[in-house]
Amino acid sequence: MASEAVDSPPSLIPQPNGNGDRLTVDKKNQTSLENKLKPIGPKRRPYTEIHSRPLPLEVHPLPVFIPHNPLSFVRIAINLISHSFRPPSSHPTVHRGYFSTETQSIHVTNPQSIVALWEQGFWGSGSLSRTEPQWLEHEKRKRGLGESKTAWEVTQERREARRQFKLERARLERETIEQQLRQEGKLASTEQVPAEQEPVVPVKQTGAFPISDANKTKNEFGPTEDSQEDRQNRQVASSDRDPSSEEIEDQEHLQLTLEEAFFLTYGLGALEISKDEISLSSNYLFRLYSTYSNFPIPENSASHIHNLFRLQEQKYKDTLETSDVLPIAPDNPFLLKYVVYHHFRSLGWVVRDGVKFASDYLLYNRGPVFAHAQFAVMILPSYSHPYWSATPDRKEESKKKEARDWWWLHRVNRIQTQVLKTLVLVYVEVPPPWDEDLESKAFQVNIGNILKKYKVREVVMQRWTPNRNRD
Amino acid sequence: MAPVTEPFPISNVAGRYLLFDVDVISHVRRNHNICGVLIGTIPNLSQQNVFLGIPLQLMPEEARVLVEQGHAYIFDDAQAHMQGFFGMSRKDRLEFLRMMDERGQQRARDVRRKAEERSEKALREKGLLQARTEQKESEALVAEGDPGTDAGGSLFGSTPQLPANRRVADKKLAPHFITPTTSYPPLAPPSQPSTLALPEVPRQYPIYRYMQSKGYFAMPGLRFGCHYSIYPGDPLRFHSHFLTTGLGWDEEFELLDIVGGGRLGTSVKKTYLIGAEEPEKEEGEEGKVRAFSIEWAGM
Repeated sequence: MASEAVDSPPSLIPQPNGNGDRLTVDKKNQTSLENKLKPIGPKRRPYTEIHSRPLPLEVHPLPVFIPHNPLSFVRIAINLISHSFRPPSSHPTVHRGYFSTETQSIHVTNPQSIVALWEQGFWGSGSLSRTEPQWLEHEKRKRGLGESKTAWEVTQERREARRQFKLERARLERETIEQQLRQEGKLASTEQVPAEQEPVVPVKQTGAFPISDANKTKNEFGPTEDSQEDRQNRQVASSDRDPSSEEIEDQEHLQLTLEEAFFLTYGLGALEISKDEISLSSNYLFRLYSTYSNFPIPENSASHIHNLFRLQEQKYKDTLETSDVLPIAPDNPFLLKYVVYHHFRSLGWVVRDGVKFASDYLLYNRGPVFAHAQFAVMILPSYSHPYWSATPDRKEESKKKEARDWWWLHRVNRIQTQVLKTLVLVYVEVPPPWDEDLESKAFQVNIGNILKKYKVREVVMQRWTPNRNRD
Repeated sequence: MAPVTEPFPISNVAGRYLLFDVDVISHVRRNHNICGVLIGTIPNLSQQNVFLGIPLQLMPEEARVLVEQGHAYIFDDAQAHMQGFFGMSRKDRLEFLRMMDERGQQRARDVRRKAEERSEKALREKGLLQARTEQKESEALVAEGDPGTDAGGSLFGSTPQLPANRRVADKKLAPHFITPTTSYPPLAPPSQPSTLALPEVPRQYPIYRYMQSKGYFAMPGLRFGCHYSIYPGDPLRFHSHFLTTGLGWDEEFELLDIVGGGRLGTSVKKTYLIGAEEPEKEEGEEGKVRAFSIEWAGM
């Protein structure tokens, strides 16, 4: 490459490695410099402490039983007895949210809930931030109030550093070519570029761009989400406003996807969705989310479903106006996504939306702040139940829904290879329709039974080239 | 390069559209923005697939464009062979065989001359040649009048001063057997069929035709997960600019495809392009093709 042709120690020239997001500059010098410059501020809590609870629930394990210590047995007994008299709650707080028809997501506005939901299981994302709700902190810093950098700023800095790095690399390449041409006599030597006099390794000497910051981000904050992607270069507009400390109103809320919200409500019971101060049953939510994941959304469906729910509450079953409520299709997008979401969350993965990598979900081992996502999940419906091939029409229809072409597979696979994720194709077995007789069941769904009808198969895809995958 | 007369034939072999003539191949590349893919292996290194040669396989879309614009016509190569060789007259066949024999003889002579040159060179390098020729001359003097020794002597004496010896040896030389590499000297070139058979094309054809008509070159884009990677000029000189996917006019597709295609395209410094053809409004009228390019802004 160009950098090697330049007569300078190649180790000093930044080389993007792997996915091209880390800059390996002479690390020793950088870190020593950092230590000197680092202001002594309040210490950050370590991530393991912040995210010590994997779910927004509280568990009360029994004390450890130590066989040679009889006292431990006593402690266990006390615990058991006290728990039997006054069982401790696993749901100390139930968070509240509401369904927003415009964004088709659940909004959580209570600041405590927002923090708790993010810290305990990485649920949702901030409406004004990239992932973690940090708008307020960022705003404070902008006005000179906050102390520590937000992840968003770190990303900005890293992107700026990367942009500078690229410019520098392009310049070096250009210079090498020019130098070569001059040596070969193809370029008149009078066309001396002023850059020639500059040191060829400006990375360290000029210090023009904050590569040190880019490194620091890695050390301090851990990998931030999607650091492989966008190299956006938006400059943070520094506001000229007076940093006098008028209270900044937090304008940000947490947005939960329908699957996340339903898992929190139905699976964990840690979230309550309410409308007009009435908390809604998961039965109702199931129907609501399913309706809203279709496209196009039937007109006024929310109000229809809501009316239905209200009438049910008031036991006026005779007056139900039912024709406007459609049955839930067995391959409803919400349902397919929820089945997969539930599957992976139950297995302990942190599941987050994968739209930025053009996949359905990303699976994190502990959470996005600890490590990059390991797997990218693509959901594919599978119609292998005999019902779907019973009539030619149905067969054709389901074939069409199942079909993906080779181009699709190559595209998806290539994207995931580029960002060093393993592609998991998740096939969801679609059962025959189960919601046709919704009126006779009075619009009730037994969610547990329905979820049991779905089966999930995982297929891991990986590019394998004999030359590259030789261990 | 010999000039190519249009329309030229495109062989259809087992559903593939092939070009066997180097002149035609460079002609379509220069004048019609069509590259195709070389698929022929080297016969004595058939396992390697790094360097491939003729024939050139055309995508059905490429063949279709050529046929639609009247530059070429498709013919069934297998059928042409059957008809051509079974329908050959006895006189033609004998003439062909005689020609092949002649070529075989010529080939054998060439091979022997090569061998002699080689040995002569080797001998000269070792300084033995002078001695050998002198010795042979003396032998020839002794055995004059005996034609039997001439043949043996000619194996070594390869100098052009001995034409008599060589002519005798020619008769004993076994001819090489030649496998003909083309069928279109013995057979007459296929005639243009009266009805134009258009190749079957996949549904992304309109976008290909559209880009080709704008002067772009297209190569198969499977490795980028798109139908064609589109080059602004000859692919040997340019990087491709677009990753192109053709869709149906009213086809529904997933938005994730756009996210993914855009992401992939932008990360390899290309633009993702999707396009479709408006359905025909009137009979025989070609619909308008519309294309959209998509790029990630923040990468």
